[in-house]
Amino acid sequence: MIEKLRNDVAHAKENVQQAIDLAHKIQPKINAVVTFVDPSEQLAHLDEVKNGLMAGVPIALKDNVNTKGIRTTASSKILDNYVPVYNAHIVDLLKKQGAIYIAKASMDELAMGGSNLTAYTGPVANPWDTTRMSGGSSGGSAALVASGVVPFAIGSDTGDSVRKPAAFCGVVGVKPTYGRISRYGIIPYASSLDHVGYFTRNVKDACIGLEVLAGRDDRDMTSSNKEVPAFSSLLNASLKGKKIGIIKNVTDAIKNEATSKAFNELITKMKNEGAEIQEIEFDNALLRAILPTYYMIANCEATANHSNLDGIRFGEQEMGDSTEEVMINSRTKGFGLQVRKRFITGSYGLFVENQEKLFRKAQRVRRLIVEAMQKALQDVDCLIAPASSTIAPKIKGEKIDELMDEYLVAENFMVMGNFSGYPSMTLPMGFDQGCPLGVNITCKAFDEETMFNLGAGIENCTGLHDLVAEVE
Amino acid sequence: MTEIKSKEYLRHLAHQCMFDCSDDELDEIQEEFMILEKQMELLNQVDTEGVEPMVYPFEMETTFLRMDEVVNVLSEEEALANAAKTKNGHILVPKVVR
Repeated sequence: MIEKLRNDVAHAKENVQQAIDLAHKIQPKINAVVTFVDPSEQLAHLDEVKNGLMAGVPIALKDNVNTKGIRTTASSKILDNYVPVYNAHIVDLLKKQGAIYIAKASMDELAMGGSNLTAYTGPVANPWDTTRMSGGSSGGSAALVASGVVPFAIGSDTGDSVRKPAAFCGVVGVKPTYGRISRYGIIPYASSLDHVGYFTRNVKDACIGLEVLAGRDDRDMTSSNKEVPAFSSLLNASLKGKKIGIIKNVTDAIKNEATSKAFNELITKMKNEGAEIQEIEFDNALLRAILPTYYMIANCEATANHSNLDGIRFGEQEMGDSTEEVMINSRTKGFGLQVRKRFITGSYGLFVENQEKLFRKAQRVRRLIVEAMQKALQDVDCLIAPASSTIAPKIKGEKIDELMDEYLVAENFMVMGNFSGYPSMTLPMGFDQGCPLGVNITCKAFDEETMFNLGAGIENCTGLHDLVAEVE
Repeated sequence: MTEIKSKEYLRHLAHQCMFDCSDDELDEIQEEFMILEKQMELLNQVDTEGVEPMVYPFEMETTFLRMDEVVNVLSEEEALANAAKTKNGHILVPKVVR
């Protein structure tokens, strides 16, 4: 898709307008956009970047990506009036390659959530079934790609926030290795887990995306110096001799027959293509500890990261008789309840009496989980499992039991990719009740080349690529 | 054994983060905290004796000392552009000394 649009750069204006028109048309139904961006200035400068890898390609940015002069809210009331005075590093990279951003996409407030139900502007609906959620936190971006508005959209992934909505929306969701893409100018959630990620509708476009976004940036102290391969020209979909490790704990925890059936069919096809399949069983106590480990680390880090959202230096300000009162009132009214809950969890973990038994304990468990992954990946090229146990849940759905393995393990195992920083991606693998099901693969650190190759192999097995949902 | 956290305790946690919660919100938080604490107990199922905390995914050096050159500068106007109230190049807050 990206290549096609790039080759049609002469009609960029029309292609961009078509994307904007579609986004407006479906906005009342899916609510994926927070702010529409007038592309005239970007189009006026397109001639200077007409040979870029994304020349004239309309794209969307998650609304936690700072865009100079364009409102950036992170879907939070407290940032409703925030207009950045600088661009995130990736915005400059995308512009340099000719991409035209047309929308700032909805997300769970401050990226804290997996449903996209907590956005200040309201829930984002799934383009395949608007009674269902898009997933989150990068739900707006996923929905805009899935509905055919744009072929590429930026998301961020702290605990599967690209890969889960990708599964629910039937698109490709990539979380590359920690350090591959600079996070300078991205409103953070939890710095040791935050990754920039993105959505496309096929693996080839995913390769192009990383070629554009990856590389060292001195302004992000965790940014890697590793060379960035030419992923798209190296792409090789052969599965012959590839070693695939099924995460047995996840497949055992899944109760939904349609998911197991789609996954087993995919595995059979991969085997027929010459892949060597084996099952890998982790210590279940480690996998059941993923969610509490994540909650502790992410929310403790978030509590510190967001202490600057106080209505004083930027953001919506509420009146008060003292500076302290202004801050408390601004934060009380500026944050939704879900965000305040997460801060309370963080505050709890950082209390002196809890630091060792909760926060430090979680960091120690994190190391053990990562060591177990590292060990498992010594014998295989990738770990594979269904990205979710079911299709996207209903927006007005029933509460789930958060202590069952189906939730703790099957719905949260992808966080291992954030703990380890290893590259991980989700692709469509089938359908249930007219909605997509996704499969997730995770590879060794900085080996996105293998991840994309396996992704292309999976795409050939399923035949599911370039899917577009007609929003009804 | 999971104990029920009092609303006062939860409100204290909220105040530590510089915000408040209504009584109804605290009811909801209190209920969810029970589940959270049960989830936290799962951490204790893992033996971490002698294991060092993992702070970042890769413990490799990517930082360095750079030359003391001025880069990525914001103008005064830009730095103050998002503040609700400013005066004479400063951010204005309510009077501290009355």
